[in-house]
Amino acid sequence: MNAPRGVALLGAASLIIYAVGFASAYELRVLTFAGCQVLMVLGYQLIFGHAGALSLAQGAFFGLGAYVTAILGARYGAGFAASFPLSILLPVALAALIAVPVLRLASHYFALATLGLAQVVLLAFVNGGTWTGGALGIPGLPGVSIFGWTVARGLPLLSLVWAVVAFGAFLSGRMTNGITGLAFTMLRENPLAASAIGIDGARLRFSAFLLSAGYGGAAGALEAHTAGVVSPEALGFNQLVTCLAMTVIGGSTRVAGAFLGALLLTYLPERLRFLEGQALLAYGAALLAAVILAPEGLAGLLARLWAKLEPVVRKDQVRPSPLILPPLGTREPLLEVRALARRFGGIEAIAGVDLTLASGEILGLIGPNGSGKTTLANLVTGLTKPDRGVIRFQGRRIDDLGAFEIARLGIARTFQTSALPAEVMVLAAVAVARASEARVLGTAAVLHARDRGAHRRKLDAEAMGLLERLGAGAVALRPCGDLPPGLARRVEIARALALRPSLLILDEPAAGLAESEHTNLADTLRSLAAEGLALIVIEHNMPFLLGLAGRVLALDAGRVIATGTPAEIRRDPRVMASYLGSAAA
Amino acid sequence: MITLAQLALNALSLGAAYALVALGFVLILNATGAVNFAQGDLVMAGGYLTAWFVVLLPLPGLVLLPLAMVATALLGLAALALAYFPLMRRPPSTVFVSTIAIGLILQNGAVRLFGPEPRVTPPVLGGGEVHWAGLTLSRQSISLIVVAAVLILGQRWLLARTRLGRQMRATAEDRTMAAALGIPVRAMIALTFALAAALAGAGGMLLGNQFFVTPTEGSALILKAYVAVVIGGWGSLEGAVAGALLVAAFETIVAALVSYTAAIALLYGVLVAILLLRPEGLFGEAAGRRA
Repeated sequence: MNAPRGVALLGAASLIIYAVGFASAYELRVLTFAGCQVLMVLGYQLIFGHAGALSLAQGAFFGLGAYVTAILGARYGAGFAASFPLSILLPVALAALIAVPVLRLASHYFALATLGLAQVVLLAFVNGGTWTGGALGIPGLPGVSIFGWTVARGLPLLSLVWAVVAFGAFLSGRMTNGITGLAFTMLRENPLAASAIGIDGARLRFSAFLLSAGYGGAAGALEAHTAGVVSPEALGFNQLVTCLAMTVIGGSTRVAGAFLGALLLTYLPERLRFLEGQALLAYGAALLAAVILAPEGLAGLLARLWAKLEPVVRKDQVRPSPLILPPLGTREPLLEVRALARRFGGIEAIAGVDLTLASGEILGLIGPNGSGKTTLANLVTGLTKPDRGVIRFQGRRIDDLGAFEIARLGIARTFQTSALPAEVMVLAAVAVARASEARVLGTAAVLHARDRGAHRRKLDAEAMGLLERLGAGAVALRPCGDLPPGLARRVEIARALALRPSLLILDEPAAGLAESEHTNLADTLRSLAAEGLALIVIEHNMPFLLGLAGRVLALDAGRVIATGTPAEIRRDPRVMASYLGSAAA
Repeated sequence: MITLAQLALNALSLGAAYALVALGFVLILNATGAVNFAQGDLVMAGGYLTAWFVVLLPLPGLVLLPLAMVATALLGLAALALAYFPLMRRPPSTVFVSTIAIGLILQNGAVRLFGPEPRVTPPVLGGGEVHWAGLTLSRQSISLIVVAAVLILGQRWLLARTRLGRQMRATAEDRTMAAALGIPVRAMIALTFALAAALAGAGGMLLGNQFFVTPTEGSALILKAYVAVVIGGWGSLEGAVAGALLVAAFETIVAALVSYTAAIALLYGVLVAILLLRPEGLFGEAAGRRA
C-alpha cells in the first residue's frame, strides 16, 4: 500500500472514530454539513481546478439542488429516491443549457457570465412567490426517507452524506488521477498545444462543467436535508465564495484538497472564538493568503513534501515497446492544398498557396520573417481557419475540421516555442498524446476504466519506446520543465509521433540546438521519412534544411515565390533577393 | 410629460453614476489585463466613507466628495499592493480570485464597522426640487449629472492631454515597451488603480443618497459595470460610458413599466444574448482578449 492511500485511510478511520465515539449531537450536525461542503468542493475542483475555468455559478447549482429537494419534499412529499436524482439532474440540465454559449468565452467573460446566471437564478427564487417561499425560503423539510425507510438525523444521516461524499471522491479521483487528468493539465497550460495532440478541449470543459453542476446539486440536496430548511442564502454569493475559498485553500486539483479545505474552513470558525460572526472576513483573508503564498493549496504543499520523502516510479519499471507508424498512405497525394488564403486585419498572411505532398517526402518551407510559414502550418493543422481555399488530407477535406480532429486524423506538429507542460513528467506528457489515438480519454473511458491498469501500462510503454527512439529515454521520469532545449525538442517530436501521424509539421526544430545536435536530428528525421512519414520542416537554418529536404518551397508575403530541389532553390534569383541574399552572403 | 422628463433625468443620473464605476473597471482592465472584481465593493466603500465623514464633519456633499475619493483611492492602492503586485506574473484569472478575496474583506469589514443597516450619503448640494419650464426636477439628480460629467471629462483630459496621461496609456498598451522607454511602469499602474478607485468612490458617494449604501451592493454593481463594458466593447473607455447610460436607461424604463426585478433579470438576459451573438461587444473590441 502506498503512503498517500495510507494517510487517506487513517484520516477516514479517525473521522469515523470521532463521529461514532466522541461527537455530540451538535458536532454530528457540523460534521454532516462539512460533508456537504466537501461534495460541493469536489465538483468545483473539476471546473475550476482541472478545466481551469473560473465558474461563479457553483453556488447557484448548490442552491438549485437544495431547492429542488425542498420543493419536492415539503410541497409534494417526494421521497429521497425521487428528489435526490432530480436535484442532481436539474442543475446539470441548466449547466448544459448555458454551457454552449458560455464555455467558448475567455476566462473573465466566462466568470462574469456565470455570475450573471447565478444572479438570475437567485432573483427567480427570491421572487418565486409562495412556490419558492420568497425571501424566507422553505421551512419544515422532512428528513430523508428512502422507499419508506427513514434516515434519522444524527449518525444515520451523517453516514448517508459521507457515503455519498466517499463515492464522489472515488469518482473524481478516478477521473483526475489518470490520463484524463493529464489531458486537463495540458488543456490548462496550453490549449493550442493540447488540441495539436488530439485533445478535445471543448468536450473536456463541457463534461467538467456538467459534473461540477451535478456535484453541486447533490451537495445542496444533502445540505437541505441536514438543515431541514432552505433559504435564498443557499443560492447567494456567499455560498460561492465559501466554496471558492475552500477549493483554493485546500488545493484545487487534488481530491485530498477538497477534504482539507472544506473541513478546515468549517471547523476553524467553530473553534476560534474571535472568528465568531466573522467567518467570511477570515475566509477572504485566508483566500488572499493562499492565492499569493500557496497557489496549489494545502494538498499541494503536502504532495511536494511527500515527493521529497518518497521518489516515484523507477525507470526500469517502464519497459519500452516500439510504436509502429501507420502503413503508407493508400491515397496519394497525402496532402493537397489549393488556393489557400487567410487575412489578418489588412494583412494577407497567406495569399493563394498551392502545394502537394506525398508520403515519405520531406518538404522544406523557407521565407523571411512574416512571410506566412507558421500561418500555413496553423491552417493545415486547423489552429487557424482559412478564408478561402481547400485542404485535403488523404483525399478528405479537412479545412472545416477542429484542430483536435485533424490531429486525430494523423497530422501532428511541434511549435516554435516549447509547448511542454513544465510540471508534468516527460513520459506522461508523451503518453497523454497516445491517449486520444488509443481512445482512452474522457469521462466515458474513465467510467469503463479504460485509462487504468494494463491500458495505462501499454501507453507508457509505447511512449517510452518513442522516447528511446528519439534518444530521450534517459529523461523519461524528469519533469518537462527541467529539460535543456535540445532534449525538449526531442521530447516534443516524440509526443507528436505518439499520435501515429502520417504527416509531421516541425516549426523551427533546429532553433536553439547546438551544431553537433543538428546531424543527429537530421538523421532521425530521415529515418522517419524512410518509414513513410511525410514531413514539412519550417526552418531558418539553411545548411540544416537544404541538407535534409528533398524539395523546398519558398514563401514571401504569403505567396509561393519558388519551389524546387535544394540545388534549384540555392540558384533561384527571387529567393536570393528576398531571403538567401542576406543569409547566404 | 412631467413624469417622462423626471424618468429621463433619473436614467441619466443613474447612468452617470454607473459610468464612473464602469470607467474605473475598464481603466484597471486596460492597465493590468485583469478584472478587478472588488471594483463594486470600492463603490460601496466610497458610500460608507462619505456617510461616516458627514457625521464627523457636517459639510455639503460637494466638499466631502474629494475626501471620499482620496480615501477610496488609498483603499484601492492597498488592494493593488495585496492582490495585484504579488501576482503580476500569474495568469489573469488568479487576479480575479485575489480581488474576489479583497471584495469579501471589504464587504464583511463594512458589516463589522458599520453594521448591516443601509446608510444614506449626503446630497451633493442639498436636496429639494427645482422648478424649470413647468417641470419639477430633483436637485440631487441634476447636481449628480454635473459632477459625474466633470469627473468623466477630467479623466479624459488627464489621459488624452497630459504627459502623465500619455505615460499611463503607454503602460496600458504595451508594458514591456513602456518600461523600455523609461516609463515607471509600476507607478503608472498604481496611479491608474488609484484613479479607478477614486472614480468608484465618487460613484458610491453619488449613488448612496438616493439608493442607500448596503454592504452587499458590490456584486450587483460589478455585474452592471461588466454589462456596460461588454455592451460598449471590452477595453473601450467611451464605450463604457455609453454602455453605462444604456444599462441605466434600460433599468429605469423597465422598472417603471414592469418591476425592478424584471429589469435586472432582463438585463442579464440581454448580456447573455450579446455574448452569444457579438462576443466583441456592440461597438467592437478595443482591447484584444487578454485573458
